[in-house]
Amino acid sequence: MSTTPLREPREVIREEPLMHRPILLALSDGPLTIPEIAARIECPTEETVYWVMGMRRYGHLVELEEADDDGYFPYRAIDREVES
Amino acid sequence: MKYDVMVVGSGIAGMESSIKLGDMGYKVLLVEKEASVGGRMILLSKVFPTLDCASCISGPKMSSTINHPNITTMTYSEVEGIRRAADGTFNATVKEKARYIDWNTCTGCQDCERACTVAVPDQFNAELVPRHAAYIAFPQAVPKKAVIERAGTSPCIDSCPAGIKAHGYVSLIRSGMFEEAFQLVLDATPLVGTLGRACYAPCETDCSRAKLEGTIPIRRLKRYVADKHYSEQDGPGITVAEPNGKSVAIVGSGPAGLTAAWQLARLGYQVRMFEAAARAGGFLRHAIPAYRLPHDVVEQDIANVTALGVEIVTSHPVRDLEALKNQGYDAVLVATGTPRSMALGVPGEDAAGVFTGLDFLRKVSLDELPDLTGRAVVVVGGGNVAMDAARTARRLGASEVRVAYRRGREEMPAHTAEIDEAEMEGVHFDYLVAPVNVVSDESGAVSGLRCQRMQLGEADASGRRRPEPILGSDFVIPCGAIVSAIGMEPDDRPFEAVTGVARGHRIKVDPITLQSDHPYLFAAGDVESGATDITRAIGHGRRAAYMIDNWLNDRPLDGFPLFDDPLGVVDRDEVLARQTRHTHRGPVRAHSVHSSAPTDFAEIEPPMTEEEALFGAGGCLDCGVCSECQECVKACPADSIKLDAKDALHEFEVGAVVISTGHKLFAADLKPEYGFGRYPNVITGMQMDRLLAPTRPFNTILRPGDGKVPDRIAYVSCTGSRDETTGNPLCSKFCCMYSIKQNQLIMGSLPLADVTMHYMDMRAAGKRYDEFYEQAKDMGATYIKGRVAKVTEKDNGDLILRYEDIENGGGIVEAEYDLVVLAVGIQPNREVERLFGGEPLGLDEYYYVAEPNAEIEPGQTDIPGVFVAGTAAGAKDIVDSILHAGAAVAQVAAHLTQSELAEVVPV
Repeated sequence: MSTTPLREPREVIREEPLMHRPILLALSDGPLTIPEIAARIECPTEETVYWVMGMRRYGHLVELEEADDDGYFPYRAIDREVES
Repeated sequence: MKYDVMVVGSGIAGMESSIKLGDMGYKVLLVEKEASVGGRMILLSKVFPTLDCASCISGPKMSSTINHPNITTMTYSEVEGIRRAADGTFNATVKEKARYIDWNTCTGCQDCERACTVAVPDQFNAELVPRHAAYIAFPQAVPKKAVIERAGTSPCIDSCPAGIKAHGYVSLIRSGMFEEAFQLVLDATPLVGTLGRACYAPCETDCSRAKLEGTIPIRRLKRYVADKHYSEQDGPGITVAEPNGKSVAIVGSGPAGLTAAWQLARLGYQVRMFEAAARAGGFLRHAIPAYRLPHDVVEQDIANVTALGVEIVTSHPVRDLEALKNQGYDAVLVATGTPRSMALGVPGEDAAGVFTGLDFLRKVSLDELPDLTGRAVVVVGGGNVAMDAARTARRLGASEVRVAYRRGREEMPAHTAEIDEAEMEGVHFDYLVAPVNVVSDESGAVSGLRCQRMQLGEADASGRRRPEPILGSDFVIPCGAIVSAIGMEPDDRPFEAVTGVARGHRIKVDPITLQSDHPYLFAAGDVESGATDITRAIGHGRRAAYMIDNWLNDRPLDGFPLFDDPLGVVDRDEVLARQTRHTHRGPVRAHSVHSSAPTDFAEIEPPMTEEEALFGAGGCLDCGVCSECQECVKACPADSIKLDAKDALHEFEVGAVVISTGHKLFAADLKPEYGFGRYPNVITGMQMDRLLAPTRPFNTILRPGDGKVPDRIAYVSCTGSRDETTGNPLCSKFCCMYSIKQNQLIMGSLPLADVTMHYMDMRAAGKRYDEFYEQAKDMGATYIKGRVAKVTEKDNGDLILRYEDIENGGGIVEAEYDLVVLAVGIQPNREVERLFGGEPLGLDEYYYVAEPNAEIEPGQTDIPGVFVAGTAAGAKDIVDSILHAGAAVAQVAAHLTQSELAEVVPV
């Protein structure tokens, strides 16, 4: 959990298009949970939730059917080419 | 237009009022500010105590509202004002907000929404998830049509004289769509690489981010996509219209001419350009030094134009425009710029070693380098040409370069960055100095420039203080060369006999149409405006192409909408006020290295890296919300996007008004002890309702802090209700019940979850409400009586609630949860206060719409003919809102009947 004050949702959400590439790149090796994605892209988990859910909404990624034992769903990219 | 009743707001009370009045035969005008009817109820998961699906109840009412023969619904519209007339009726002004999408053809496919590159908080999902600037309100929206949110034109776009959609390409770059960004600029002008380097970027001056830590690097972002395109693509990569059989001659191949040629060629015109110099490009090629704008970049940009089949005939000055026209061209565009340097006008200026600024720079561009090695050079003038000449002289080996300018630094017309960089490169400035005469040696070569000191007097017509000589202050600056860069003007010889000549040797044309008295003849760029800059010339070129195309197709020449009818610019302070705080982002600096003794013409400014480009674009504040990136235009299969749409005002006469504007939810961050806005796993009841709804923003109930399925969920009742500390002593009536509803739904969705509600009093005073409460307890929900004092967060995002446990001894207890839900109450919607002009609508002491005789005349306000329905008058659950709407409907009917009787039998 981040120790810095939360950024305003508007500011975080505005970055959603910017975060597509790093998140899709993170998922290029396989599905990841939000804390795992956040660790890969080195961003706070609460901000990663906005971006992942925005990308899920617009069809860039989808969750697997079952959450892991800790209660986290893994997400995978949907048919998108990822530029490295 | 007349209606019996106007209903303001289409929540459940507004819809119910409208349907019932419509059923009674009244003609109803329903005005809704959002793009869909339905209000808040359609966003709920289920309703209490029946646990019926909210959509299943609300959906049919939404459909009935829209399709009722007696109801006219204006969605995405706002009441601007209501005035009561002398006869007791009302005059209402309603603003129909521009949707920017033609609803007659929109199919609701959401392709625009998916293509959109701007993300904003989704108000229909309690800001838990992004939506896009192009959006359909929610999946069950009625009508299911998209709108585009536009707050105005973004300042960066508004300030661009070339009409380039800077916000658009920044948002495309942010999305990693570099080629699309290049194409968006290319849509305006072929000179993408040029602008990426040599533009003075008024967009950056007006960037809202400049009011924070620094502007978005808009110009260099353009360079980035240009460089990327040219390194990866062969040709401009566009399709053009089929040849239309018409031809246009363009005289001059500078930025105005090239842009006009580009635009006309794309429309199918055969375009031939005539350039007096041996190479195309005008000042881009012959005046701007290569260290600022490399020649190969200009060539790449020009190749965009020639790739469309435009022929550029070089070394071909045109002296007779009529003769050119008679060669068979349908139109002729003069875009010859300002090729003449103005003379110093002092004795001795014909001495060897005196150059005009343009000639000096032109020679250098053609590798005809004057030998300045070891010579001192004086540049006279304070504009950008003077700066270019001075910095060029430094590169040619001048021992010293001095700029003599008759005013001070503040008055210099050169761009500040140019002055700064000239100073960094060792150029000296002599301010308040004017030339008197050129001093020559015996051979007739320059040996010095006699000057006199000046002082600034009153402001002249330009607004700048007039320089006045100081008598007896003459002095000589020793030098071996002088460059005169005091101004430029058009060469009027080609047109003086055809169109006449305006002030400053400019061509005479209409400033809007750019058409001369000879209809076939148009002019664009500096030849019409006098010396300006690249962006203005490009803007002129675009305008000229638009006008020529209109004229050749018998369309009116009544303005260029791009420039003459834009959407108003959004206020930068309003943009910044959308957030209470902005995180600091370090500006992306250019890291140009300036030598104090430069020796070559290599480009100074380094390119951005991709990382820098993404980071730089990522700081964009989306001032206008919609970025005008045009991706929705490309994506829409029905050609429904209409970004030139405008708001429309409508006037109505109505017999009565029903106010059903609903309520606001309490802003939970006003109870800081509960941590909303500081702890991501503290959410509001409305957010939980969205998480429970079938159209939920997440895949299931997850906590927003890390996406974990919560096991332990706490509710805090009366957040912002019955609370003097927040100024709201009222009970919000439905928080207890919606919390109990959610408790049951959570236990249905997450059977293993523990649900606990911390409450003050359980208010379940409705039909089957108490049974509903008991049912929740039977399902396993825990209810603890006692105020929660404080919520704190653990490192793992879990939350500690500190509360008083009244029923178990009154001790202070702490408990740990995964997720905390604040059961927020309601507050009045004070937007209602602006509806009525002249005769304000009465409010009660809590700012709800007052019902002076609520007990016996529910729904009546203090204005005869104005009624209130639903929570606009105070807290009510859905059942009571519908009942209240029924009462308001009865009041309306009685009022209208009385009015009819009064007309028949005057009192």
